[in-house]
Order: sequence, then structure tokens, then C-alpha cells
Amino acid sequence: MRQVAIRTGVVEAPFLDIDPYALDVLNDPYPFHEALREKGPVARIAPHGVYAVGRHDESAIVLGDHNRFTAAGGIGIQDIRKPGEFRIPNRLLENDPPSHTAIRGTLTKILSPIVIRRWREHFEKEAVALARQLVERGTFDGVADVAETYVLKVFPEAVGIELPRDNVLAISEMRFNQSGPQNELYHRAMAKAQPYLDWFENSTRRDSVRRGSLAEMLFEAEDRGEFDEGIASNMVRTFVGGGTDSTITGIGHALHLLARNPEQWALLKADPARVKTAFEEAIRLETPFQVTYRTTRDREVELSGVRLDPDTKIGVFLGAANRDPRKWSDPSRFDVTRDTTGVHLGFGVGAHNCIGQMIARLEAEAILKAIVTVADTLELDGEPRLRPINQMRQLDYLPLRIGKA
Amino acid sequence: MPKVTFINPDESRVELDVPVGQSLMRAATAAGIDGIVGDCGGGLTCATCHVLVQEEFLPDTPPVTPNEDQMLDFTAMGRHPTSRLSCQLVMTEALDGLVVRIADPQL
Repeated sequence: MRQVAIRTGVVEAPFLDIDPYALDVLNDPYPFHEALREKGPVARIAPHGVYAVGRHDESAIVLGDHNRFTAAGGIGIQDIRKPGEFRIPNRLLENDPPSHTAIRGTLTKILSPIVIRRWREHFEKEAVALARQLVERGTFDGVADVAETYVLKVFPEAVGIELPRDNVLAISEMRFNQSGPQNELYHRAMAKAQPYLDWFENSTRRDSVRRGSLAEMLFEAEDRGEFDEGIASNMVRTFVGGGTDSTITGIGHALHLLARNPEQWALLKADPARVKTAFEEAIRLETPFQVTYRTTRDREVELSGVRLDPDTKIGVFLGAANRDPRKWSDPSRFDVTRDTTGVHLGFGVGAHNCIGQMIARLEAEAILKAIVTVADTLELDGEPRLRPINQMRQLDYLPLRIGKA
Repeated sequence: MPKVTFINPDESRVELDVPVGQSLMRAATAAGIDGIVGDCGGGLTCATCHVLVQEEFLPDTPPVTPNEDQMLDFTAMGRHPTSRLSCQLVMTEALDGLVVRIADPQL
């Protein structure tokens, strides 16, 4: 083990005795976030023994510095390299440079900005068609009838995989609970996903993807030796996990925040191009992926004057960083004119920042713009409901009413 | 404060004071220079802040990382020998007086 001199004056991380995965905390994480940020630059979560950061600066450091913090231990609370917690790593997310760089490079080529820009016209057309139906209906569920319907229509078509709604939602719920501790949510989601596990396994095989699609290009890259064997299938899983729930969730939060803040809706009506910053602001304020993990390297490391044990998980609470008053003025306010793009951590930062972020933006902008253009008003039509998930902050039900003047 | 001149596609010029440590992309979008889109906010995923750096300044610019190198291949205008993504050009004293031409198109 490499010896590293630790500066004098470094301190141990203070303990914080709150379980971030308790149901009441998942339903209202903001008091926990504040406690975490105010405890210090890094704290130790007593119920789980892991470190955690909730300030913007330290969050960006942990995500950005793979010399101190490795992604190979997995993005959940478990160290997936340890006996009993072992699972096959996601070769994109749970991997460090330089091995990560090569895989990401090949994937970037397949999902390049040039490819994604070509989708715009079609995505916008589908969005307008859906928005017109919504106006006809007047009342609807912003989650099932808008976010899920739209994303599960355009995204699978664009990448060439089939994603039946019940299957993909059950699998996502399993995966994003699995990255938390083995609590009731975890076990319930695992049980709920059981009927779909065979489908999931098969859906990422070569013969399940559409001929000539982007997904097939992954397998062709593997044929050419650009990926090791098995990576293509592993990457198709990433499409399922990374490309559906996260975007669905972000669109849901944006609709919810717009319905709750009529003056912000009015700003969008006046200038629909603001849907871009509105979406970024929504995922700053209600960050879909609330937490992601790294692991300290196998030596003591220091972070902002705090000494950290080797080989220990550290949770980066993105939702907390995105409301850190050290970074944002009036952080709890939804302000569609605030330009937070590339500064909020909703898409992560550094080598592992979201590879599909331009797809997510394209989808969100298309559907929000279509709704803002065809509807004059957007209001809540009842009380929304959250769907508690260990890693995510996600709406389950969002009753909305839209009207034409 | 160091200065940067942006040459727009219509040949008009805009001179900006850019604080050391700020990227040219941020400075340009904050100043409302439309030719710099910067859709992803500096995450190296959109390739819409493409500029051509005036040659004499090239040695003072930071090296092109593998990620930037790859994204330059996906710029809408196509890549030139002096192409850079302006989100990766972080201002330094040495870059005072820098002149960049904004690529067109960006999308």
C-alpha cells in the first residue's frame, strides 16, 4: 500500500445519525440534506458506516477525482467487489479511466451529437401529437400519460430496443432500489421485478435489438474488437437503466414545478425557448438521481481537511449539492430564468457525467415546448404522489389539468 | 482583466473581459453571443461551442484532452486544424488578447 503523508490539522469525519433511506427521509430529503451540508465538508452516515458529501464543491471533487475516489466499487451503497455484495459491474459507470475512456469513446461515437441532432424533428413531431391529445383530454396524469408515454415512445425507437412499459418500470425500480441498502423498498422492488428478469436478460441480447439500430452498432463494435466480449450487452442494459426512468422523472418534476408556479409557467408562455433552462432548473431543484457513490482508494485520502479511511464508500448526495446555499442564491426557489446548465450536478460531472444528457434534454425540451405551445394554462388537478425509491426522487402520480383560453 | 475577441460568422467582432479561470464558452453565453450555443454547459457532450483559435495563440492554449478530441469530430461545421471547444479554453493571463472565430453552424 502506498504511504501518503497526511497533513497535520486534518480531522475525522463527524457522524450524522440519520438514515437517508428511511421512508420519511426519502419522502422529504431536504432536512437531511441541510444537516449533511452543515455537519461539515464530509460526514459519516452512522446507520450505514459510509461517508457522505452534500456540499456542491466537495461533491464535484469526489465525482471528478478518480485518483482519490474510484467508481469500480459501484455506484450504490454496497461495494460490489466484496463477497456477499458482488455483482457484475456496469462497464461504463463502474470503471475508471483509462479502461473507462476507451469504452466511453466507442459509445460516444455511436451516440454522438450528430446522431442525436438528427432525431430532433421526429421527437418534436411526436411531442406535438401527444400535446394535442392532452389538450383534448383536459385532465391527465403527468407521469403515466406524459413522461412515461413520451419517453417510452421515442427513446426505444431511436436506439432500437423494445421496452414494454410494465417491464421497464419494474426493472428500473429494482435497479434503483438495489443501489441502496437492503431495506423494505429493496426487497419489495426485487420481488416485483421477478416476473420480468428473464425478459431483461433476453432484451439485451443481440438477437433482441432491431436490425440496423444504434443498439446493433454496439454489437458490431464488439465484432470489430472495439469492445471486449460482453460489453455490448452490458451497454444495452445501460440504455434501459440510464435512458428511461431518469428522463421520465426529470420531465415529471418539470411539469410539477410549472404547475405549482404559475408565474414561471407565464415566463415560458412568453418565451417557449426558456423550456431549456426550465428543465435544467427542475432537475437542479428535484434531482432525479439523488445519490451516487464512489469508494476511497486503498490508502488514506484527505478531502477538504478531513481524513478518510481507505476502501470506504462515499455517497455524493447530488440533490443536496444542487440546493447548497454556498453555490445557489435562494436555492429552494424554482426560477426558469436561472441558467444552471453544466453547474448543477443532476447529470453528474467529470469522466462519468451522463453520456445521454443531450438525449434527455432533447426529449424534455420537445415535450415541454409542445405543451407550452398548445396549452394556455397548466394546473394541478389533485395531490401528486411520490414513488419512494432508494436512489431516486421520482413522482408516481401527477394529476394535471391544462386548458386553452 | 484579460480580453478575448470573438469574431462572429458575419465578421462582426465582440471584445469581452474574461476573468482568469472562466471558460470562453461561459463568458460568451453570459454576454449573449448567439454563435456560441454551449448546450451541455461544458460537459463535453454537445460540441456546440466550437471556435477556431487564431494560430499564434495555439501554443498558449491548454492541451486537447481525449474527450475534447473526440467531440471535435462531431462539430456541425466540421473540424479544422485550429478547432477547439470553447468550454475547454479556460482563461489565463497568457491568453490575454486571444482572438477566436466562432464556427458556423454549431447545430
